[in-house]
Amino acid sequence: MRSPLRPLSRRGLLTGTLGSAALLATAGTLAGCGTKGAQQTEAACKSDDLSATEKKIAFSNWPQYIDVDEKNESKRPTLDDFVKKTGIQVTYTEDINDNNEFFGKVQNQLKDCSSTGRDIMVLTDWMAARMIRLGWIQKLDKSKMPNVEANVLPSLRNRAFDPDNQLAVPWQSGLSGIAYNGKVTKEVRTIDELLTRPDLKGKVTALSEMRDTMGLLLQSNGHDPANFTAAQFDDALNKLKKAVDSGQIRKFTGNEYSTELAKGDIVACIAWSGDVIQLGFDDEKIKFVTPESGVMLWSDNMMVPNKATHKANAEELINYYYDPAIAAQLAAYVNYICPVKGAKEAMVKIDPELAENPLIFPDDEMLSKSKVFMALDEKQEKDYEAKFQQVIGA
Amino acid sequence: MTALAHVPTGSGQSAPPPASRRGRYRLLPYLLLLPGTAWLFLFFALPLLQLAAASLYDPSGSLSTGYAMTWAFSNYWDAFQAYWPHFVRSFVYSAIALVLALLMGYPLAYGIAQKAGRWKNLLLVCVVAPMFTSFLVRTLAWKTILSDNGWLVGLLRDVHLLGPDGRLLATPVAVVLGLTYNFLPFLVLPLYASLERLDYRLLEAASDLYASPLRAFRRVTLPLSMPGMIAGTLLFFIPATGDYINAELLGTPNEYMIGNVIDSAFLVRLDYPQGAALSFLLMAAILAIVFVYLRKAGTEEVL
Amino acid sequence: MGHEAPAGDLRLANLTKRFGAFTAVDDLSLTIPQGSFFALLGASGCGKTTTLRMIAGLEEPTSGQVLLGDRDIARLRPYKRPVNTVFQSYALFPHLDINENVAFGLRRRGIRKVADQVDRMLSLVQLEGYGRRKPAQLSGGQQQRVALARALINHPQVLLLDEPLGALDLKLRRQMQIELKRIQTEVGITFVHVTHDQEEAMTMADTVAVMNAGRIEQLGAPADLYEFPATAFVANFLGQSNLLAGEAAGTSGNDVLVAAHGARFSVPAARSRVNRGPVFLGVRPEKLHLVESPAQVPAGHQHIGGVVTDASYVGVSTQYLVRTAWGSELSAFAANSGAGRVLPVGAPVVAYWDPRHAFLLGREAGEDDQTTPLLDEPPVGVAS
Repeated sequence: MRSPLRPLSRRGLLTGTLGSAALLATAGTLAGCGTKGAQQTEAACKSDDLSATEKKIAFSNWPQYIDVDEKNESKRPTLDDFVKKTGIQVTYTEDINDNNEFFGKVQNQLKDCSSTGRDIMVLTDWMAARMIRLGWIQKLDKSKMPNVEANVLPSLRNRAFDPDNQLAVPWQSGLSGIAYNGKVTKEVRTIDELLTRPDLKGKVTALSEMRDTMGLLLQSNGHDPANFTAAQFDDALNKLKKAVDSGQIRKFTGNEYSTELAKGDIVACIAWSGDVIQLGFDDEKIKFVTPESGVMLWSDNMMVPNKATHKANAEELINYYYDPAIAAQLAAYVNYICPVKGAKEAMVKIDPELAENPLIFPDDEMLSKSKVFMALDEKQEKDYEAKFQQVIGA
Repeated sequence: MTALAHVPTGSGQSAPPPASRRGRYRLLPYLLLLPGTAWLFLFFALPLLQLAAASLYDPSGSLSTGYAMTWAFSNYWDAFQAYWPHFVRSFVYSAIALVLALLMGYPLAYGIAQKAGRWKNLLLVCVVAPMFTSFLVRTLAWKTILSDNGWLVGLLRDVHLLGPDGRLLATPVAVVLGLTYNFLPFLVLPLYASLERLDYRLLEAASDLYASPLRAFRRVTLPLSMPGMIAGTLLFFIPATGDYINAELLGTPNEYMIGNVIDSAFLVRLDYPQGAALSFLLMAAILAIVFVYLRKAGTEEVL
Repeated sequence: MGHEAPAGDLRLANLTKRFGAFTAVDDLSLTIPQGSFFALLGASGCGKTTTLRMIAGLEEPTSGQVLLGDRDIARLRPYKRPVNTVFQSYALFPHLDINENVAFGLRRRGIRKVADQVDRMLSLVQLEGYGRRKPAQLSGGQQQRVALARALINHPQVLLLDEPLGALDLKLRRQMQIELKRIQTEVGITFVHVTHDQEEAMTMADTVAVMNAGRIEQLGAPADLYEFPATAFVANFLGQSNLLAGEAAGTSGNDVLVAAHGARFSVPAARSRVNRGPVFLGVRPEKLHLVESPAQVPAGHQHIGGVVTDASYVGVSTQYLVRTAWGSELSAFAANSGAGRVLPVGAPVVAYWDPRHAFLLGREAGEDDQTTPLLDEPPVGVAS
């Protein structure tokens, strides 16, 4: 008598298993031909630009990545100003929490050349590179964006994945370097210190973004993350593996490291500059270090996906945000590295102290030490990512 | 048998029943099943088929070139070889968590069902209340509780259960505790439902028939709560084994479970054939365990 | 556990149980002789089940003793008492088959070889061959017998039965009454049987105790209780009675003189609980005979005049209601013996009785006549 669970009786289970097997066989027939490639071209996915008739735009961005009015959080001064000036209505959605997750969200549409419903989306370099590689991104008309031409920081021009500066325009940039909590440890100067100093053992984290962690390690080995060989990558990975195996590295994180760093569960880590500035406002003992060997410079980029129907409007918005005064207003709120030349001068009027902050307006010395990670082709990306994931445990 | 006796025997004289009416009624149950079946087919069976197919794609394919169907059964073996420690870890962690949860959950369910009186509903709400907050938030809260500088670690260090540098966060202990906590309600609720139906008069009868409270528990309460136990342990064990949030947030790469690997295969490494193969391996392993478990629990004279 | 020790009488001494302010059992003392079939009879809420549960150990007395022989078992845990219970709900273990249900007590006492005893017990309750079934596969009557076997197999010194037949239909209940009595005679164990069914108590028990509000109203053999109730409660609870309010004026010879409603009556002193002050003069309906005129009343009988207001023919008898001059309605049963004719409603009649069949009970001053209206079910001792 197994009455309470009769629906899961042995025979039922067996039938179920057999049934599943039959279904599986059907599946094989159904999908016997595999899947077609996701590769597209802009030309093949021709989009009509309705900007002239439809004064609107859909803008997908990360949470807390735009200025809001201190008194009324639903107001976004720079964006509202844009709407007033141009009459273009902006539907602003904070629906990007993770590059990979967002990729999963839009890949089926972009693969099939259908609309994602978005005109601008903001994605990090490597994801931007992947989408560009897949042919999912529309070319922008540079002549319509004079501000961008004039003001984008030199180190963010001619990036490997967008050599002609016509596919991805940085929204905000950031540095990946070392952060430590001065309350619980003394200064950490280099990546090697971070990975070997005994007093840090088990209290160090690194980022699960391969390009940030591996870029810094490559630099610490004296190699150029913008141009490295597979052997150099393996060298750096071995160094990382040693630190993982020895228990020096506690775990790999997204940006959830920041609370633990503030509490002191983590005493030092590979971190993003923007997070560290935020933490520094509350606790000045939490510091960001630019290792002598170099830092990684990354950006989140505005891009117009295929089948977006308001490209001209998007270009107008992108151009608007490259006005130094507007850029300074935005930078004063979000505290990442401002990719707009001249914004520093505009910032002096808003907040002179922030204008002097090298993590928002890096000086030339710091910028000279910063590198953008090499553009990888699909095979490289898959191989490196697989190796890296193996080391970080998944 | 009686039905057979009524079959007309060749004479064909018996009036045929109004076929259309009857036929309609015979179809009715199937019609009622239709929406649910269609739903299941579209949103469960089809995606599952898709996944099954993906697990057999040529592993050298890629997103941009697409995947060819090569019936690459080797995907399964390759995936298993690469990640068997994660499988083992998943099952070991959730088994330990299950034991802990039973040790806590059974007395809890028993107390609420049989001893709580008018507090019963309130206590039940307390069990369910954490589910009103998101899984993620609950797990993040554990991060604070287990923090290196938190009161719990401090206390354990003071009583020398942890060394001066010992920690809970980012250890297997934290992951197991997280699993135990997060899935406890799934165990407690079915157990409660079972124990709540338990007739206290049966315990009086056992007591009257020379059974001490302990023996009455062993011989009456426990066997009668078996349906809830089985449902509860399955509801606990299956999701706990596939979980990846706890390992991600409370553990380190050394505690990563199979769920983390699948997550990374699909979202980070974009190795769809491997991700699909791992998903099916996990499904098969869980089915096998459930099968053995039900067989075992079923052959005892308890149900 | 001393099951083989000679069982003594079961004695309850000053047993009291309070639930908060409510006193369920109030200073109860009684002795139940070894080997007797004892029935505790009362309406629901009278404390009879609480008394039983205190004997079983399922309820702890507020004060008082439960003595088995010379041993006070009132504070022993239930599983340490040589007492077993047949529960009203039977409380069979649904997950065990009949064999294991019956063997439960033996196994808990560490007895390994149980098969023979179980078989013997199942044949005693006439359930041979049912051992492998589950309780849910048996009928109510069969379950009841399993519950009995499960208790009896332990050879308790006292077997407690808590309304064991309450859930059975009438026919089955009759059958089981006889069965229970047979088994009790066979095993010779003291049976304490709790019931609200007067008929059940009277058919089976050697001794019946009528309980009311936590106290025992009267204790004795069934016939004694019926023929000469001690209180108005017993007179009404056990069968029906016509109780006339009156004043007793003391003894004259062997009789007590009573004045009621302007008439004078007498009751033998031996059948009088009091002989002075407010009293009830009681006559059972079947002892009340109806005639058409006072001239027909036999010598030595006493009578009251009235009018028939209702006549119900119920087969074995005809049940009449007779309104007296002062408005009370007396009931009278006339056996359908073929003699006499049915009296029509509205006919003036004379009701008479033999004073030796009347009884005299104490009455609270101010209480009026108590006469029972016609019942749907025939009362005890008349129809069955």
